Amino acid sequence: MRATDNQGSFLNRISIRRNQVVSMDGNHEQELQDLELFQKQVADRFSDLLSSSSEDGADALLSVSWLRKLVDVFLCCDADFKAVLVVGRDPSQISKPPLDRLVPEYLDRVVKALDVCNAVSHGVEAVRHYQKLAEIAVSAFEQRPIFDGQVRRAKKALNSLMLTLEEQEGSNLKSAERTWSFGRRTANITDRALPGRVHSLSWNMAKGWSAAKQIQAMSANLVMPRGAESSGLASPVYIMSTVMVFVMWALVAAIPCQERNGLPTYFPWPRQQGWAQSMVALQEKISEEWKKKREKPRLAGLLEETQRLERLGQSLIEFAESFQFPTGAEGFEEVVAQVAELAETCKKMEEGLVPLQQQIREVFHTLVRSRTEILHVLDQGGKVSAPPM
Amino acid sequence: MGDFRSILPLCEGEQHVIAATQHLVKALGASKNLDDDLRKILSQLDSHLSAMTILSPESRGTGFREVEQQFKWAEEKIRGWESNQSLMWDSDPLEASEYLKAVVEIQTLVEGLPRLSMSGTRKQKELLNRAESILQTAMSRLEEELVHILVKHKQYFELGNMSFQYCGKDVVYDESFVSVEDMRIEEASQRNNSGNESVDCVPDLVHPQVIPHLKSIATVMFASSYDQEFCQAFISVRRDALEEYLVILKVEKFSIEDVLKMDWNCLNFEIQKWIRALNVIIRYLASEKRLCGQVFEDLGFLNPFCFVEISKVSLLHLLNFGDAIAMGTPEPQKLFRLLDMYEVVADNLLYIDTLFSEEAGTCVRIEFHQLLRRLADSARATLFTFGNAIAANASTSPVPRGEIHPLTRYVMNYIKTLPIYCSILNVLLKDQNAAASNPVAELENGLEVSSMAYCPMACHLRSITCILEAKLDSKSKLYKDCALQHIFLMNNYHYMVEKAKSPELKLFFGDEWIREHIVKFKQHATSYERATWSSALSLLRVGSAGSSSTSKTILKDKCRGFIIAFEEVYKSQTGWSIPDPKLREDLQISTSQKVVLAYRNFTGRNSADIGEKYIKYTTDDLEKYILDLFEGSPKSLQRSRSRRN
Repeated sequence: MRATDNQGSFLNRISIRRNQVVSMDGNHEQELQDLELFQKQVADRFSDLLSSSSEDGADALLSVSWLRKLVDVFLCCDADFKAVLVVGRDPSQISKPPLDRLVPEYLDRVVKALDVCNAVSHGVEAVRHYQKLAEIAVSAFEQRPIFDGQVRRAKKALNSLMLTLEEQEGSNLKSAERTWSFGRRTANITDRALPGRVHSLSWNMAKGWSAAKQIQAMSANLVMPRGAESSGLASPVYIMSTVMVFVMWALVAAIPCQERNGLPTYFPWPRQQGWAQSMVALQEKISEEWKKKREKPRLAGLLEETQRLERLGQSLIEFAESFQFPTGAEGFEEVVAQVAELAETCKKMEEGLVPLQQQIREVFHTLVRSRTEILHVLDQGGKVSAPPM
Repeated sequence: MGDFRSILPLCEGEQHVIAATQHLVKALGASKNLDDDLRKILSQLDSHLSAMTILSPESRGTGFREVEQQFKWAEEKIRGWESNQSLMWDSDPLEASEYLKAVVEIQTLVEGLPRLSMSGTRKQKELLNRAESILQTAMSRLEEELVHILVKHKQYFELGNMSFQYCGKDVVYDESFVSVEDMRIEEASQRNNSGNESVDCVPDLVHPQVIPHLKSIATVMFASSYDQEFCQAFISVRRDALEEYLVILKVEKFSIEDVLKMDWNCLNFEIQKWIRALNVIIRYLASEKRLCGQVFEDLGFLNPFCFVEISKVSLLHLLNFGDAIAMGTPEPQKLFRLLDMYEVVADNLLYIDTLFSEEAGTCVRIEFHQLLRRLADSARATLFTFGNAIAANASTSPVPRGEIHPLTRYVMNYIKTLPIYCSILNVLLKDQNAAASNPVAELENGLEVSSMAYCPMACHLRSITCILEAKLDSKSKLYKDCALQHIFLMNNYHYMVEKAKSPELKLFFGDEWIREHIVKFKQHATSYERATWSSALSLLRVGSAGSSSTSKTILKDKCRGFIIAFEEVYKSQTGWSIPDPKLREDLQISTSQKVVLAYRNFTGRNSADIGEKYIKYTTDDLEKYILDLFEGSPKSLQRSRSRRN
């Protein structure tokens, strides 16, 4: 993982303060400027993300590469946020109301986000499994000339893939993975060989942990600061919280995660605010997708590549079922194109999933560090009481 | 039955190439500067080449019919098993190897058929189609057999001695500042240094007898380019086995949120499980890696990839728990567990680096290094929190009877458990003290033992007691009675010295510190005597010149005054306490010497003037009464005397 260059990248990300380090005396005007700059940074980053997520572009909405950009945006915002909240800040400032309440609430969200990161990280593992199955189909279909045997091989892999993708929400993620390679017969054999084998042992997160509940809890007490509060540090805390909820929510929607029933599709975010505009637009688009998905509550998630695998897989299974050696040229070209698309999708996954997983891990580590830094400032502000003895 | 290879002809050009290559291989094989691996590869290549050249030019004309017959034999063999529900290697390993032979025949056909002279004909294509088809059936079957063998012959890693050898340092330290039982800590602090016995003995995770079966399945599936299926099945089963093993080790999954909210008793328990699990899992993984090595031997570079895929998810769970612990608020009682965790990661780091030395394992390696750093930070923060907590300790009421403050007990017993972590603490604290002057350097020529008193941990221990002393001084002010302040401080300093003199701590505190602090508590003893007795004893001091000039009345008053003062002291100070019998005795003797001597002189010289009646107590009485002081149970002289008379 790219842990080693974290520090470098963190420094790079603090673009916001580069010109202002000198005048860090915390005067009001400076603070206002900082806040404005932070809002602008957030607005710009999400507007870039929105404009790059065209339907047919290289970074289609919710594709692996788009998610990687999203995660990057998050890391940048977090660095900017820390620059506003922590760097050069008089600790007593964040220990005064309303921040004495808002900052601990923020830290609470951070802890929840850490668990979401872990769940998503495991989810990426599942997506990599989809990819492996699709790759088997690709290599079978790419044989020339194409014989019954290879078509059957591809079909077997695709059937496992569809079975996995169609796994219902609420069922065990891993059990799908497990069944993939065991034909019905082996499943019997396996059961016979191991009576009493516990199938539920492959929990990914703690028992009863729910991604949906986690997202709900993160956004539940998230209220936009009003009146006098809105000009102070309460505002960046709110903005960063919103960014965090959005990013975690989008990841949960895209990647299979433990228990997503009840994942919110609406958030009361202030779309009239400059920084929120693009983010809300993205959120609405994803919500639309999610609502569609809810009609068939599958585990797979909205990841663009996953959906593509599903579509292509279905079509190629149909082909495989009607296939008879020797192949007629009729309609075969279409199959060749689909196989090529499947191969291309697998390639994108191969290139992007492991780095995505590493980025999510980086988010994890960054959040842990941020939390420590903020706690440290709180501690200096004398708000964290001495541990009980 | 013959072999397809002998039937499928090669074109002449190819024959020449093969002959030339074979020649080269033989020449190379004769060279003495080859390592075993290369020699093995060459000999394999040679046998392959020989097999190909067996095809004599005469066989070139052999017909398609013969090939078809060969194929039929293999096909029947494979189809025969299709309806058979039982598992090959279970029922008959010989049959299984026959099956594999049939698969190899088909493979050879599939590879060689396109080269047949009449290639491209419909008949040939149909045969090829049948061959591919039967090959797929066979592969599917082999995959099932693979999964079955892996599941059925899975062996659980013998916990045996491993689980019992590793007891960690069973330091139980969940005490608060209030209740500390010395004995418990002393009992518990015996270090059981183990857990890292060796990785030399690597038990088998799959029965060794089936390894050749797995290898032969792997070879055949890889040769038919069904390597993806093989790897997926293998990884999937082995990964499940590892997860199952974590369940056996009772490692539960917690969210970070859960861990941060968990109460200390649970956490303590989970940490101990984690430490044990990590130790065992690293050894398990050494076996896993060997298994991968055995199965994927000769099959390219998949071994590290598969190994990482198998182990990554489970290791992430272990890592996460570690991260969650390191994130927790630093509380003094956590220190020992944090140090245990640090130690187990540090001890295993080399193994982890070796197990995941390949590119594919980089992320795992880095994660563990990061975890170690985080645990170090957390342990360090906890250690400093401990100092801050002492300084922040607030109490409004003095300890009754001037006894040892619970804080003193807590701190000293806490400190006493630290030396078993000396080497770790020195590492953790080294960076902190790097800037400070380093007396060790100056003492390098001195005795080695004395330098232990200057290691980073020793310096830190003394800095903690320094904070404690300041705290005790301020706590002594809670007593209104100045003499009791001294008793309190004497008791507490004495306790500290006794603990510092214990074999665990002696070398770290050093003679100098101990000497200094003996002087301190002795000073408080002296101050006590002065505060309590100086005014009373001054009554007994009678002007040496002209005793006759001192009037009897004054002498009587003085005597009465002393008696009253003594009775008051007796009344209050019998209720004070010096828990250490030796210390108590010393102070009683020293008091006795001063008081009784002065009293004897006074009464001896003036008894006639004062009159027996006013001399209420004999010197023996006083001596006896002084022995009642500091016993912690208040008594009164007036009452007891009145009752006696």
